[in-house]
Amino acid sequence: MSAALSLRDVDKIYHPRGRSAVHAVKALSMDVDRGEIVALLGSSGCGKTSTLRMVAGFEEVSAGAVVLANRRIEHLAPAARNVAMAFEGYSLYPPLTVRDNIAFALKRGRLSARDVSRRVQEMAALVEIESILDRYPNAISGGQQQRASLARALVRDADLYVLDEPMGQLEPQLRAVLRGRLKRLLKDRAMTSIFVTHDQTEANALADRIAVMEGGVLQQFANQHDLKERPANLYVATFIGEPPMNVFDASVVRSDDRTTFQLDNGPSLGFGDNELGPEVRQAIGSRRRLVIGVRPHRVALGNGGAETARVVSNQWLGDQSHVAMAVAGKLLVAVSHERVRAAIGDSVPYGVRAQDLHMFDPDSTVALAHGARAA
Amino acid sequence: MAQIEIKNLRKSFKDDAVLKGVSLDVDKGEIVTLFGPSGTGKTVLLRLLAGIHAPDAGTIALRGRDVSGSPPDKRGIGMAFQNFALFPHMTARDNIASALTARKADSAEIARKVGAVAQLLKISHVLDHSPRELSNGQKQRTALARALVADPDILLLDDPLRNVDAKLRYEMRLELPALLKRAGSTVLYVTQDFKEAMALGDRIAVLLDGEIEQCDTPARIYAEPVSIGVARLFGDPTLNLVAVEPRLVDGAPEILVGGATIRLPASYAATAGGSYMLGLRPESLRLVDGPAPGTITVDLVAVTPLNEKSVLLLTMEGGQELLASEAGDRDEPRRTGPAHAAFDKDAVLLFDCASGRRFVPADATGVSK
Repeated sequence: MSAALSLRDVDKIYHPRGRSAVHAVKALSMDVDRGEIVALLGSSGCGKTSTLRMVAGFEEVSAGAVVLANRRIEHLAPAARNVAMAFEGYSLYPPLTVRDNIAFALKRGRLSARDVSRRVQEMAALVEIESILDRYPNAISGGQQQRASLARALVRDADLYVLDEPMGQLEPQLRAVLRGRLKRLLKDRAMTSIFVTHDQTEANALADRIAVMEGGVLQQFANQHDLKERPANLYVATFIGEPPMNVFDASVVRSDDRTTFQLDNGPSLGFGDNELGPEVRQAIGSRRRLVIGVRPHRVALGNGGAETARVVSNQWLGDQSHVAMAVAGKLLVAVSHERVRAAIGDSVPYGVRAQDLHMFDPDSTVALAHGARAA
Repeated sequence: MAQIEIKNLRKSFKDDAVLKGVSLDVDKGEIVTLFGPSGTGKTVLLRLLAGIHAPDAGTIALRGRDVSGSPPDKRGIGMAFQNFALFPHMTARDNIASALTARKADSAEIARKVGAVAQLLKISHVLDHSPRELSNGQKQRTALARALVADPDILLLDDPLRNVDAKLRYEMRLELPALLKRAGSTVLYVTQDFKEAMALGDRIAVLLDGEIEQCDTPARIYAEPVSIGVARLFGDPTLNLVAVEPRLVDGAPEILVGGATIRLPASYAATAGGSYMLGLRPESLRLVDGPAPGTITVDLVAVTPLNEKSVLLLTMEGGQELLASEAGDRDEPRRTGPAHAAFDKDAVLLFDCASGRRFVPADATGVSK
């Protein structure tokens, strides 16, 4: 499949007056396939919004190229890019009703009035703003404005849909349903989309692939499964996942056919070569120090666990238990979809399997191995 | 004996009745989370307890004594409120210590206690900063530290983690209960986050529209909400609601859901002839092989992953949408299109359409605490 959108070595450097330059986006390269939904995810200041604004045309690129539908667009005005946008600050036109705001996006095309009306109605139904179509933007709530803005973007035919925190202000009950509807629409019509969010729940729910950014650098660009099972580095490993991965500093001890990870100020986790295969042993190499990690959902509680730890908290959230244990001077968090019976202060057995271990180089923080495979 | 006893508390501001008769007991050493949407009077209730406002009617007893008319500083309560209220000219360290210096504790002891609580709340590195140099999350934790450091036997906390970033907030959610239990404090903790309410509370008091709609253990509130109002506040995603009209067929209660006839347990017989909302938690709804008796024909519209779960958007005959959630990894991702759904009969909740109250079946045994 050919890429619909390509960013090639894109840089963004801001020169605030009287202060030193800020390198907000660093040599960013990524391809978005036709019909693909991509999320730019990261904490505030990571460069995701600058990236989105460069794609939309609200910011100039400092270096690099942006290619959309085989055209270089980085020097084009926003309106000339054939990009549909729902942006904070890219507001609705105050003198027009919500209906006319949405229809306005279509009127430059050659649709009949009936088709325009039908498409406006369809999008209004999708985001549930039918009852406010005849009102003016300043007479509706922030959440409604956001949905109207989303409808105005989605109603168009465009090469790319660029969405900034598309569901940020919506109430949770509506949000879960809207995510499903929006995903179905984008998929059914193969609408290539890129959206920014700081909320990984949103990114997980909607995206085909997620670009994780931090410090202006693309850390990893992968689907949900790979971000969880094969994080590229310690940053991604501890950023993705709710709750995040448990990580511990450890020394590596080799003896005969066993590898032992001695957690700093904590227990040793030992594995035979039959569990920890040659590929992983090779990835560890001659390192004496590692960071090892395990996802909370993979920590097994109960009988059969090789270790025991004291329970610090045990919280049932209606559909899952979160159990925190004191291990190596930190908390080891285990999550179970079953209700776990253990009280604060109890000693509980737990186990970690070789296949659920993640290993990172302590200096570079780059991943070395995931489960049975090298990174 | 209850450390905090609230009876029939009423409070209006001008014509706005914020609290309409609130009664609540909190036992010694117990943590009760006060939970509800914004604007339901949670903060007002805390302020009445602290003595910042006086109630229009009703009584408050602390440690068995009526405190009506006694000023805030005579009530012996530790507080951390949303507006931080830190002394601007003091460092974070001195702000925290101020709770102890007022009692003339010795300085080595003060330093040790301040250091310990700062470490627990992860603000050791900013102890020498003044409040204006702190982020909102750090201010909030400094205020919380000041409330905790004096080991107060009664503690009122108004959404103390609200401005803390998600990761730290999660860590604090795990660590706070042990910290509070160790101090033995009796705690009333206000939050707007249902997960925090469930995670921290021995019991949750759900405040809706100026009244406590339900006060119970987190597990019971989740599984046996007294009303639609309570049920909708818990769960992610929130529960599905489907209008149903139970009827008796051969003496057994049945409902029609999305064109499928579903037989309910016999204990629901008394609902026949009434109008109800069927409440279904997303995790009690699942896709099954079918069609089979008791399965609902649906269209799987979209699959949206949620952590280790997937949320499935389904539409039933007639177009109503349902959300189902399933745990675990699948080898093959689900494909959108026609499918069949079923739900756990044990997890059925029926709410009376007129009153919003849940129908309690005759043989209800309840989940264990």
